[in-house]
Amino acid sequence: MAAEEPAEVSSPLIRRRRARLDLTTPSLLGLPLGWLVVFFLIPIGILGAYSVNALYVSIYPGAHPVTLSAWRDFLDGSDDLRLFWKSVKMSLIVSGLCVVLAYPVAYFLALSGTKRKYVLLLVLIAPFLTSYLLRVLAWKVILGSQGVVNSFLFWTGLRSPDDPVSQLLYSRFAVMLVLLYVWIPFVALPIFVSLESLDRRLLEAASDLGASRWQAFWRVTLPLSVPGVVAAFLFVFIPTVGEFVTPSLVGGTSGYMYGNDIADQFNRSLDWQTGSVLALFLLGVVALLTVLFARFLQIRQVTTG
Amino acid sequence: MSDGQDLMERRLSREDLLKLAAVAGGAGLLAGRASVAGAALDRLAQESGRLQVLDWAGYGYDGGQAMFVQYVKKYPNEKPRFTLMTSESNALAQMSAGLEPDVVRPYVGYVRDFAESGFVQPWNPKLISNLKYLNPNMVKAGKYKGKQYGIPADWGFDALLYRTDKVKPKEFSWSLLLDERYAGKISWWDDLYMLVVAGYYLGIKDPWQQTTAELKRSQKLLASKKHVVKFFWSDEYVMQGAFAAGDIWIAYAWPADWAAMKAKGLKVRYVHPKEGAISWIGMLMQGNDTPRPEHAHAYVDAWSSRKSGSWLEDNYAYGHANTLSRPKSKDLLRALQLTNPNALKEPNAHIDRYIPNRQEYAKRWREVKAA
Repeated sequence: MAAEEPAEVSSPLIRRRRARLDLTTPSLLGLPLGWLVVFFLIPIGILGAYSVNALYVSIYPGAHPVTLSAWRDFLDGSDDLRLFWKSVKMSLIVSGLCVVLAYPVAYFLALSGTKRKYVLLLVLIAPFLTSYLLRVLAWKVILGSQGVVNSFLFWTGLRSPDDPVSQLLYSRFAVMLVLLYVWIPFVALPIFVSLESLDRRLLEAASDLGASRWQAFWRVTLPLSVPGVVAAFLFVFIPTVGEFVTPSLVGGTSGYMYGNDIADQFNRSLDWQTGSVLALFLLGVVALLTVLFARFLQIRQVTTG
Repeated sequence: MSDGQDLMERRLSREDLLKLAAVAGGAGLLAGRASVAGAALDRLAQESGRLQVLDWAGYGYDGGQAMFVQYVKKYPNEKPRFTLMTSESNALAQMSAGLEPDVVRPYVGYVRDFAESGFVQPWNPKLISNLKYLNPNMVKAGKYKGKQYGIPADWGFDALLYRTDKVKPKEFSWSLLLDERYAGKISWWDDLYMLVVAGYYLGIKDPWQQTTAELKRSQKLLASKKHVVKFFWSDEYVMQGAFAAGDIWIAYAWPADWAAMKAKGLKVRYVHPKEGAISWIGMLMQGNDTPRPEHAHAYVDAWSSRKSGSWLEDNYAYGHANTLSRPKSKDLLRALQLTNPNALKEPNAHIDRYIPNRQEYAKRWREVKAA
């Protein structure tokens, strides 16, 4: 009864305070919500209008009726759809490798107990201080026919200067290698956060119960770091599946990805209708995957620890 | 009355009347000039603000300043501002998205597309003093429905560039771009014009107006030979870098690429295929809603001068529409065939032109890339 007493008191002062409190939430949420509406929802609506020709940009003569033809063409097993799956596969491989390679680094930083872990973490993400474009272009110097790798092979005599390894650059391999390099530091961060918030007493308990270090890792550390791993995986997968800068710089004909296709639709073919269909489809798939991962793997644990 | 008339005659003799007329006429003339000058000043005042130019890389302050230096001298405080375009489609996309350039440069095949788009308006030829020195055939190519929509500026060829120390062509043909012996060392231009090239190679009657069946043949050929291609280039500097680094030995190229590779000391040759090179002409067009028409005309006039033309030829190895312009290099003079009056005509070269079903060409080219 005593706990209910304040609720029964309804002086004008308290009512004013409540009214003020009620306004706090919308005012705090207003800016981000407004931002989302203006820069996310409205552009998506515009893309939707372009995708059915309700809006159009065209130099081509003739009528431009509202139509679902671009959606039909896309879903009828077009090259675009095949290209999408190719990009998904490449992105899955890159994301998987990123996680596998970044995990040991994050593990060492989080659990080794080194005092300089934050300095090392800063070193790890130092490449982010330079331009993305420069980091990608640097690989042309490394992988080219007269690049660092081939020069080394010439020097060791493993290859003749007349016969360099030409598959290194302008290939699918080059795209995946560069994406891997670019995204590894980014992947290490959520895994690091996840591991660092791990309750060490659980590891001690596992040890007390006779688990080896490997068993403790396998049965305790890894399962508890899964939310971080999933977040890291998504952090790479989402941007790389629509990537177009790296493939256009080092991809060649075989490294052409879905993102390049979208860019070409808007910039070269002036087919904004098909471009919008491709962009919306990508957005839909990525959103769906994100929701699924978040729902089944409780990604919120990454932040709550 | 008679007294009055006498007085009048006495006061205004014939000589006096002439003097009066002269004074009145002079005053009128001065007044007229003043009003014309005032109008011009008013127009210039209305035209204040920097000229907006939508142009390709290399034609602005990134190396091309010498070609509009005359304009900058005339308007030293109103230097032009540049926005880059990467293709005609890209330019149209930017204009559709709200960019309102005073001057834009599509190539000759797009004159009709741009004219019909409503984004450009015809020039006033009387305001371009250098127009009389421009190649009349090129000037004619800039007309649409009798109006001068395009002022020709730069021109050149699309032909074959190859390393003479690495490549032994069986014949000088577009087939060199499909040659299996050099798989992985070839670069094609990233443009629907590759379907035109395929059309010429396949002997299609009119490669610029291919039927759907013909386009399918061209597309099939390109898709079947895509594996020999290292990459499609859309930025010539990227292609030049790869060529210089030895990543590619054969390329679909422009004269400037040949000049750049020669300057790097590479053993290269630039040849016209037996099917005929494709020739192109840059067309300066005036934005439809330009608030600076006099500035735009002055800018184009500067680009059309003999000096600008010679500089373009000497430094970029492109031809220039001004017939008085000549490059210093005799090699370039031969490569551009500047002494050949039929250099840009059939069958020596196929001048870039309007493609009625460009949309289908674009779609099929994209399918080649995505295949």
